Amino acid sequence: MKALEIQNLKFFYMGREEPAIDIEHLSIEDGETVLITGRSGGGKSTLVNCITGIIPHVFHGEFEGKVSVYGHNTVETPLSKLSTEVGIVLQNPETQVLNYTVEEEVAFGPENLCLESDDISERVRESVEITGTSQLMERETYTLSGGELQRIAIAAVLSMRPKLLILDEPTSNIDPEGTAKVFDIIRKLKEEKTLIVVEHKVERMLPFVDRIIVIDGGKILLDIKSSELSHYVEKMVEIGIEVPIHYIYARQNGIDSEDMETIREKLREINMIPAPPKRAGESRAVMQAAVSVSTKSGKKLVDGEIELQEKQILAIMGRNGAGKSTFLKGLMGFLDIDLNCEMQITLDGRDISREHIIKRGKEIAFVPQNFDLTLICKSVELEVAYSLKKRKVKNYMERVEKLMDMFSLSGLRYRDPLSLSLGQRRRVAMASAMASGVRVIMLDEPTSGQDYFHKQVLGKELTRIKESGYSIIIVTHDSRFVYRFADRVVVFNEGRKVLDGTPESVFRESMQYSILPPSDFLLRSDEHELVNP
Amino acid sequence: MNMNWLILNAVSWLLFFFGAAFPVLILLKAIGLTGFMKVTRYEKHNTFYYRMNPSVKIILGIMVMVVASVTIWWIGAIMTVIILSTYLTLKDGKRKFITGMFLTMMTVIGTTWAFAPYTPYVILQEAFHSNQLTTLWVWPSYFTVMGYQPALTTQGLIYGFQISMRFAAVSLMSLVLVMTSTPSQVLRSLNKVGIPTSITFSLVVAMRTIPRIFEYIDTSVKIQFMKGLGSNAPSFLRPFYMLAGAFSGIVPVIVFLVRGAKDTAISADTRAFRAYSKRTYMHPMTIGKVDKMALSAVVLIVLLTVIVVMMGFGKGISYNG
Repeated sequence: MKALEIQNLKFFYMGREEPAIDIEHLSIEDGETVLITGRSGGGKSTLVNCITGIIPHVFHGEFEGKVSVYGHNTVETPLSKLSTEVGIVLQNPETQVLNYTVEEEVAFGPENLCLESDDISERVRESVEITGTSQLMERETYTLSGGELQRIAIAAVLSMRPKLLILDEPTSNIDPEGTAKVFDIIRKLKEEKTLIVVEHKVERMLPFVDRIIVIDGGKILLDIKSSELSHYVEKMVEIGIEVPIHYIYARQNGIDSEDMETIREKLREINMIPAPPKRAGESRAVMQAAVSVSTKSGKKLVDGEIELQEKQILAIMGRNGAGKSTFLKGLMGFLDIDLNCEMQITLDGRDISREHIIKRGKEIAFVPQNFDLTLICKSVELEVAYSLKKRKVKNYMERVEKLMDMFSLSGLRYRDPLSLSLGQRRRVAMASAMASGVRVIMLDEPTSGQDYFHKQVLGKELTRIKESGYSIIIVTHDSRFVYRFADRVVVFNEGRKVLDGTPESVFRESMQYSILPPSDFLLRSDEHELVNP
Repeated sequence: MNMNWLILNAVSWLLFFFGAAFPVLILLKAIGLTGFMKVTRYEKHNTFYYRMNPSVKIILGIMVMVVASVTIWWIGAIMTVIILSTYLTLKDGKRKFITGMFLTMMTVIGTTWAFAPYTPYVILQEAFHSNQLTTLWVWPSYFTVMGYQPALTTQGLIYGFQISMRFAAVSLMSLVLVMTSTPSQVLRSLNKVGIPTSITFSLVVAMRTIPRIFEYIDTSVKIQFMKGLGSNAPSFLRPFYMLAGAFSGIVPVIVFLVRGAKDTAISADTRAFRAYSKRTYMHPMTIGKVDKMALSAVVLIVLLTVIVVMMGFGKGISYNG
């Protein structure tokens, strides 16, 4: 039986002349596992919304064609009925989890179906077992890490017992350890359900999927078996999709293999191992910071130190709860008043530990993960000028113009920052944070939820900023991004710094702290050099 | 311009700002935005409030409101003290007790100052059965433009304080419901009394969102400080800049939440929300021993209130006894 059948589907959002999705025909067999990938804004989410019935039942617009899930026409079937056939797990677990306790969250769906309490309990037990979350049942949802929360979101959908499960970028906001656990669940579910996974991480998904569908501009550009991927590498790269680096080099050098080790050996034979990315060498220390954070009861949460050098990108990595964000918040004076924080920060040899954040902000900029929260002005120009005006800097417009040029914002100067695209909003937040003449910029999870294309753009932006004299700290889970753009990496584990060095030296040992080295690094190094956990 | 005139104006404006600023100072300095997050969020625990059926907590809240509004002020004060002391039984009770104390202080000062300078003398004379009012401070004549009476009186302050006792206990009791019941439990209780699921669900989402609002506004304000908000002002004015920053942060916070609300809607609708007019529950609500005790307390309170009112301690407006 077909799990999904789409014919002549077109959907136009209100007021739009171009369809957001335009698919002539697509079918997925019962039990298949399909990866849907493509650039952000290409139509992937619209497609999955059409499959789940969210379009047209919740989001309205002009809908043409027919979508059937296990024989149910999504337009004619009520959403409540469809929800037992198809379930969806979204990208951000924080916005999809509705309840305060884990148990209530997992039971929410079956309770809506008006099942008997014993049936509900049975479904809840079954779902938490599949997702390995039984031990979290007594917890409040807001105390969970991103990875734990995402597994609860999956359990909450599984308790509806859908035949078709859609996972829309389920790992884009979580750490490598959480990601690995989500992939474990996908591996388990592959045997039992039809799966559609929307992901940018093609490399990680390859072992699980039967088919790969690439969507861009609302159309299906590729629909291939996963085993055929190596033949379509150029096309994927051209579209802006992240493919394993060894596939690209194999293709470029005529190597007929998909195995990393074989490709590495062949490349070595023909002396074609690519050179590692260029990194900034050792330079003068700009900032030295030691931060110790503990609870009122004396429990140490973080006790670590870093050194940031001039014109350098320093990445801070580690699993969720390792203390990265607490370290950064301690550094900025952003911690909860319930926590005790001792710190020693020197900037160019000057002790700024006791300075209020108003003064510290003059030299250190901070762009949080939710950077939208920082955009408070009515126009881009006012937003960039905000800091200079507040600090009463004379003739500030010259600097504003320079920053707007630097971040390609001049053409958007009169636009409301909140109405811009994700990438543009991030650029406004960065320009505004840097305006008061800071020398150090800190970014918390700047790669979170971004596709390959946007991450490349971000990396190039940061490199340009670095080269113009700034020093940058980024907190991220993205190993590939770090390998390509960072000059140094610090790894935190259980609140302490455990590794510090170049990406090459750190990735050799990082697996013991749940940080998987990217294929870019693996292609250039020997397996036996790696320290396994 | 003589010295007396200067002192009169300076002190008057100082007193004016005290009423407006002190509660804000308490709010921002002693509690903090994240402190607010703690008293608007459910945390799991196992003392009597947590075991109590939310419907009983709602009834208790309504009862406290009724009693505080129909009886003399000191009954409200006694209830405030009792409810506040029960905060010690909550999870992280000491911290919540202190926060509750500051909130009560904020309510008392804010309400007193909102009534004392404005209440017409005729009302004070009626409430205190006396034509003699004790003047504490004479305002500059132009303060009448703001609705102020010519002078601040002891009776005005007492009257304002007594009125605050109508609110303090109710506010504390409402927070008990929020801190000790999950939104889902509240939803069940409200559905039982026939309120439609779609309305109660909005309430549930609001209860889940409110603590996040404080968290996000806190981030927004801190970033504004980093970008120079209040950089040229003396440090004692920072709480006001913090307040200004919080106002500026409201729009981005709302936009941010609305963007996430789309996911919330999808998450609920794709899990059969509103499939039926009613829902069943994994743990059906029951009335336990704690609830029976609480309901008995409610009955006792009602009886005592009737007696108290019959004894003449139930004036519509506060008075000095």
